[in-house]
Amino acid sequence: MTRRIRRSGLTMPINNPRFVGRSWTRDCDYLNFDLEDSVPQSQKEYARTLVREAIQHGQKGAAEINIRINCAYPDVDVRAAVWPGVSQINFPKAETAEQIKHLDALITEIERIRGIRPGTIRIGATVETTLGVANSYEIASASDRIDSFGPGTGYDMSMDMGVEMFVGFDQFFYNRGEGELIAMALGLERDGNVYMDDTTGNVGNADLALNRARASRKAGLRSGGGLHPNVVAPQNEGLTPTQEEVEEARRVLEFFMDMDARGEAEDDMNGRTVDKYEAARASELIEWAELCARRNAEKASARERTLAAEQAALAKAAPNEQSVEEISATEPAPDTLPEQPSGEPQIEESTPPDDPEQQETEQ
Amino acid sequence: MNSTTRRSWLIVPAHDEERLELAANSGADVIVLDLEDTVHDSRKHEAREKIRDAIGMMRDAGSEVFVRCDPELLYADIAASAWRGLSGVVLTGLTSADQIAEADSILSQFESERGVVRPPPVGEVREADDPRGPEQALETHLSLDTGPANWHAEELIRASDRVQSISLGRADLKTDLREEPSGDLHLLPYLMQRLIVIANALEVEPVGAWWRATSRGLSANYDDTLQAAITGRLAGFRGALCMRSDQVAALNTGFTPSEDDVGNARAALGSLPAHSPKSRIAANTIQWSEACARREQAAALVRNTGGNDHD
Repeated sequence: MTRRIRRSGLTMPINNPRFVGRSWTRDCDYLNFDLEDSVPQSQKEYARTLVREAIQHGQKGAAEINIRINCAYPDVDVRAAVWPGVSQINFPKAETAEQIKHLDALITEIERIRGIRPGTIRIGATVETTLGVANSYEIASASDRIDSFGPGTGYDMSMDMGVEMFVGFDQFFYNRGEGELIAMALGLERDGNVYMDDTTGNVGNADLALNRARASRKAGLRSGGGLHPNVVAPQNEGLTPTQEEVEEARRVLEFFMDMDARGEAEDDMNGRTVDKYEAARASELIEWAELCARRNAEKASARERTLAAEQAALAKAAPNEQSVEEISATEPAPDTLPEQPSGEPQIEESTPPDDPEQQETEQ
Repeated sequence: MNSTTRRSWLIVPAHDEERLELAANSGADVIVLDLEDTVHDSRKHEAREKIRDAIGMMRDAGSEVFVRCDPELLYADIAASAWRGLSGVVLTGLTSADQIAEADSILSQFESERGVVRPPPVGEVREADDPRGPEQALETHLSLDTGPANWHAEELIRASDRVQSISLGRADLKTDLREEPSGDLHLLPYLMQRLIVIANALEVEPVGAWWRATSRGLSANYDDTLQAAITGRLAGFRGALCMRSDQVAALNTGFTPSEDDVGNARAALGSLPAHSPKSRIAANTIQWSEACARREQAAALVRNTGGNDHD
C-alpha cells in the first residue's frame, strides 16, 4: 500500500456547517470529522446523518477523510460513518483488543454492503486512558487495518492519570516511549510528536506548531494534526524536508554508493560517519520529500478545480456577482474552534441526503 | 549475571588490520571483533579468516573477546569464531527467540567438536583438571537494536542460559532515533531505562551509556563519551559499547567510581547501619571500584607476561 501523507489534519465537529463547509480550503492532508467529544449528546443522531455531505466538502480539497466515532456507540456510528471516500475510522479511548476486533468486524460488514473494496478503511486506534496504555500492544496488533500507532497523551489521558495537561515537562514520557516502541515492534508508522514546553495550551500557536513539527520530523516522526486552522500550514511545512536537507541527503547517497563500490561499509564524510543506515535514512528523506511534493500538488490542483467549478456555477447563475475568491477573501477565519457547538442544527445548510442504507435495512 | 568487569566494549571490523592493532593497544575490557555492519559483504570472507588469530591477539593484550555475527550469516560466522579464547558472540537484528535457539545450537556444536570453553576472567588461570561447569559455556550478548527486539526483550533473554548481557546496540541508527531539541535522542532515555529494568529483573548485565545527540552512533569524542559513561553508571549501566579506540579510556574512567565516589561510600559505610539501603549501595560502589582496579591489574599482568597461555 502507498505510504500515506498525514502531516496536517483538523478535527472538527461534523455538525458545525461553517467548519465543515470551509474544511476543503484549509490545505489539510486529512480531515477528521468528529462524531465524538465535540458533538453534544443531543445532536449525536443528527450528526450521524451528515457524514456523506462532509465527505463531499472535504474531498473538494483532496483531503483524506477520517471520521471519529464514539467508543460507546461503535455499531451505530460505523453504520453512519463508513461510506465511499472515507479512508479511516478513528476510534478514541481504545482500551482493549476486543473493541478493535469488534470495530474491524463492523467495518468489514459495511464495506461488503456498500461495495467498498475490502480492507480500504483504516482504523486509527487512539489510546487516551491508562488501561489503554497498559493494553497498547494488544490494541495495536488487533487489526490489519491499523497502519499507524502512537502514544497516549492529551486531555483525556491527563484526566485519567489525574494530572494537569500543560505543566512544563513531559508527564507522558512513559506513554510516549511505550506507544512508539510498540509501533516500531509491529512495523507501523509512528504517530505522535516530540515533547516541547507549552504551558499555555493555545491550540492555535503557529510558531509552536512549526517548531514541534520540525523537531518531530527530525526525530523520525511524520504525522501531525490539530484543532485550529493556524497550525495546518506550519505542520505541512515543518514535516516536509527542506531543499537543503534533500540536497544533503543526495550527497550522502552518492558518498555511500561510492564507498560501497570500493568495498567499504562505513566512511567519514566531512566529520559524519556514513554507513548503510545513514544511506537508508537519506533515501527515506528523499522519498518522503517527493511524496510531500506530490501531495501538495494534488491538494492545490483539487482546490483549483473546485474554485473554477464554483466560479463557473456562480457566473452561470448570476454573471454580475462576486467571484468565489472575492467571497472567500472577505470571510474571517475563526480564532478558535468552540469546545462544544451550541444551538440547534442548521438544517437548511446541511440537509441530510437520502439514506440508501436506511432503505437497505428497511428492505 | 556474569561477574566479570566489562566497562568498555570496543567494536572493531575484523578485516581491518590497522584498527585491530589500535584495538589491541586500547586497554578495552572487551574487544568485539565485527563480522557484521562494519564489514562490507565483499570482505566478509577475509574478515572470517582473520578472526582466529585476532582472538589470540586480543587475549594477549588483556581483553576478553566477543565476535559480532551477521544474523543472516550466523553459521559461517560462528564457525569462524568458536575458537580458544572466545568469550561469546554478539547477536544482532533479533526478531524472535528462534534465532537465539539457533545460535545456541550452533555454539553447542562447536563447543563439542572443538572442545572450546569460555576462558576464565582475564588474568586468572583455569587448571586442566578443574571440573567443567556452566560458567564455561560460550556466552551470547543480545544487541537489541530493533523495535521487535526491544519489545520482546524478556522473551529473548529467557530463550537461552547463555545470554548474560544485553544492550541497545545501534538501535538509534537502525530505528532512526534522532536528536530532540532537548539534546536527547528521541526515545533513547525510555529505551535505556527499560533495558536496565528488564536486565536487572532477569539478572543479566545491562550494557550501555547515556548517549545523547552529541554522541550518536557510538562514535563520540572523549568528553561526550566520558559524560555518557558517568551518567550511564549512575543510571545503572556498568559498561558500554563504542566504535573507536580513543573512546575506551573515557568509558573505563567513566564507569569506574571516582575517588570522591569511593570516599563518600566509605564515609557512608562508617556512619550508617550495615543493613540500611544507603550502606548497601555504598558497599556496592566500593566492591565495584575494587573490581575495576583488579581488572586493570590483571590486564597489565597479561600484557607483561605475554598473554593468557594458561586459559
